[in-house]
Amino acid sequence: MISICSPVPRTIDASDFMDHVREMAKQPSQPFSDELVMLLGTISSELLRNPVMRALPQYVALGYWLRAAAVRALAEEGRSGFGPHEIAAARGLALHLPPSNVDTIFVYSWALSVLAGNANIVRLPATFSPAARTAVEIIVDALNNAGEENRHLFCSYPYGGDLERSLSSLCDLRIIWGGDAKVDAVSRVPIRPDGLSIGFSDRHSLALIAVPAYAQADDRIRDELATKLFNDAYWFDQMGCSSPRLLGWVGASSDLDALSKDLYRRLGGVIQSKSYAVEPAVAVSKLVLTNDLLAEGWARHGVRYSNELQVVDVAEPAVALEKHGGGGFFSQSRFATLADVAAIATRKLQTITHFGFDEDQLTSLARAIAGRGGYRIVPIGQALNFAPTWDGVPLLSHMTRRVSVHAK
Amino acid sequence: MIPELDEALAGAPYSWRESDREQLLLSGLNRLTELHYEKCVPYRRIIDGYWDGLTAAAHLAEVPYLPVSNFKTQLLQSVSDADVRVTLTSSGTTGQAVSRVRLDSATSTIQQRALANSLMHVLGKSRLPMLVVDTDAVFKDPKKMSARGAGVLGLMRYGRDHSFALTPELEPDFAAVDAFLDRLNGGAFFMFGFTFMVWAKFYEQFRSRNLDLSNGILIHSGGWKKLVEQAVSNEQFRRRLGESFGLKRIYNFYGMVEQIGTIFLEGPGGLLYPPNFADVIVRDTRTFEPAAPGQPGLIQVLSLLPHSYPGHSVLTEDLGVIEVRSGSNAEWGDRGIKVLGRLPRSELRGCSDVVGMAA
Repeated sequence: MISICSPVPRTIDASDFMDHVREMAKQPSQPFSDELVMLLGTISSELLRNPVMRALPQYVALGYWLRAAAVRALAEEGRSGFGPHEIAAARGLALHLPPSNVDTIFVYSWALSVLAGNANIVRLPATFSPAARTAVEIIVDALNNAGEENRHLFCSYPYGGDLERSLSSLCDLRIIWGGDAKVDAVSRVPIRPDGLSIGFSDRHSLALIAVPAYAQADDRIRDELATKLFNDAYWFDQMGCSSPRLLGWVGASSDLDALSKDLYRRLGGVIQSKSYAVEPAVAVSKLVLTNDLLAEGWARHGVRYSNELQVVDVAEPAVALEKHGGGGFFSQSRFATLADVAAIATRKLQTITHFGFDEDQLTSLARAIAGRGGYRIVPIGQALNFAPTWDGVPLLSHMTRRVSVHAK
Repeated sequence: MIPELDEALAGAPYSWRESDREQLLLSGLNRLTELHYEKCVPYRRIIDGYWDGLTAAAHLAEVPYLPVSNFKTQLLQSVSDADVRVTLTSSGTTGQAVSRVRLDSATSTIQQRALANSLMHVLGKSRLPMLVVDTDAVFKDPKKMSARGAGVLGLMRYGRDHSFALTPELEPDFAAVDAFLDRLNGGAFFMFGFTFMVWAKFYEQFRSRNLDLSNGILIHSGGWKKLVEQAVSNEQFRRRLGESFGLKRIYNFYGMVEQIGTIFLEGPGGLLYPPNFADVIVRDTRTFEPAAPGQPGLIQVLSLLPHSYPGHSVLTEDLGVIEVRSGSNAEWGDRGIKVLGRLPRSELRGCSDVVGMAA
């Protein structure tokens, strides 16, 4: 039996499930329509009104992202990507496989695909938080009220079985979130021969701080920066691909030690004021990792500020990016210039958040990396902001088809 | 062997009060920190990088410690490969990393001497006939040597004329036990087994047989997790074995492969007491600062035994509490611990939900 959350939560058998999916596959709609914008706008209002959602910053951010005005702008952007002789069409039936740690991704992935006019199946991971379940309920209610309930399905089914195979064979689009192993496992199951499968593989991220800018910043700016860094790193226990693991201090300074300690003191204050805490076992594992980095010669120095904040000075930032603790484990490294940062970029590098650089510097950095990684370069505080271009892939464009029309 | 250890082994093994042992241990532990700092490069890097370099600790709580898991992630030894005589490994489920503890012959000798010294406290000076609550199959095949097998072998050294209470299938071997008891003629004997085996494979299987074990001394170890699941406390364990077999001299101990030879032995009040050459600190799980007696936290064990690897100060993943005993008892020190269980495992959610979920 398969459990589905829409139109009403229940369990159904595999053959009924497949009948339902076959019906869904027949029902794509016109991309970027006002009805779709309204639907997402309604979900935004409901999310922002719900007390459970309102208490969680990541869902508040989601609610804002889905505001009718914001979605309308996205729709405009989507439409403008088509030429005068092109008609936008939905891709068809989309299957979304969200990650198990960042439990808002499924809504972003789904919402963009809604806007693209697709019928959508979202597979909910077993590890989903109660908050994510609340978000699903809100979405399902909105779909039912809008008469859209038969074009979207939120469900749970096991990987690796006949059902996954049958289901996948009907899909025009499959979006896999959740790392190399998952992309590899899921990709072994074929979708439609003319389908498109997009995998979001293992990624990691770093934050860059311009030393002179931090040195000149006043208390207010430094406190704000610490809060933004907290949001980027701690919302998903630092386990999101775009959460920074490495802090790079760029530029020369004689008192970098004092500056970095100043930032960690402020970050420690934010951690306390937000009552963020990890299990003691996680704190112990961060100490073990610190010792490993020291013992193997990758790091020179490590400091335990608290259970929630452990910082190591690394000599080999590229290695440190690969070894991750989570739950408040930062490697830090000095870079003389941004060009030195480009030198450690690999395809696995996703988001570079920054503080204190100008546009020219950042553009040069992007050019120096030149697609070998570093697909998003955004200010500190925006690491987790979802964008319709993710890992260098323009999603709306991939979620739609182009029909060429030429009269002569 | 460091001189402090020599001195600690001279007295009645569990007799020192905290005030007696502190200065001697501090001096010995500082000496070991220095020794490992000089001889073990990864350890030196940790001391330099996390503990601000080599300094003599002014209090036991300041002695640098290694989390026990670092013996799984790193190969830590303070002797050359050629001098390593044996590598001990911890028990662990298949696929999990195991601790590797490197002993040279000197440390191996130290460890055996210290353990003999500790066991003498309850077994007396002469070796006793020994009933092992296990099977000899557990150590017969060196290729399949488990931590359990190594533990049994290690303890067998301290008894003689061994018999085994269980068959290789872990069924009760009634004939072997009867024959063992017959041979004794009412003399004292030594029993050893892992706690859960003693309960499930000995107590449960033999209790209806009216055995008289009143001359026995039972030493057992190995964790209470399975017994806690069956709601069997230490008190019940002792009472039931007493009622069924007349077995009164029962000693639980707490120890780990990373500090092989150091056993915290059960004494008055059911507490586990450190031998004179060891000590314990309980650290608050939030601050990692020493917790006051009575306050639970992470157990850190200190021991003067590890000479060939930097295991003289280890932060375990066990939760415990220190209790102070009032009144005087010449045989036992004034502080012991209660072990409360393992630190609950906790893993942060990674992004993949496929691995381990397929099929």
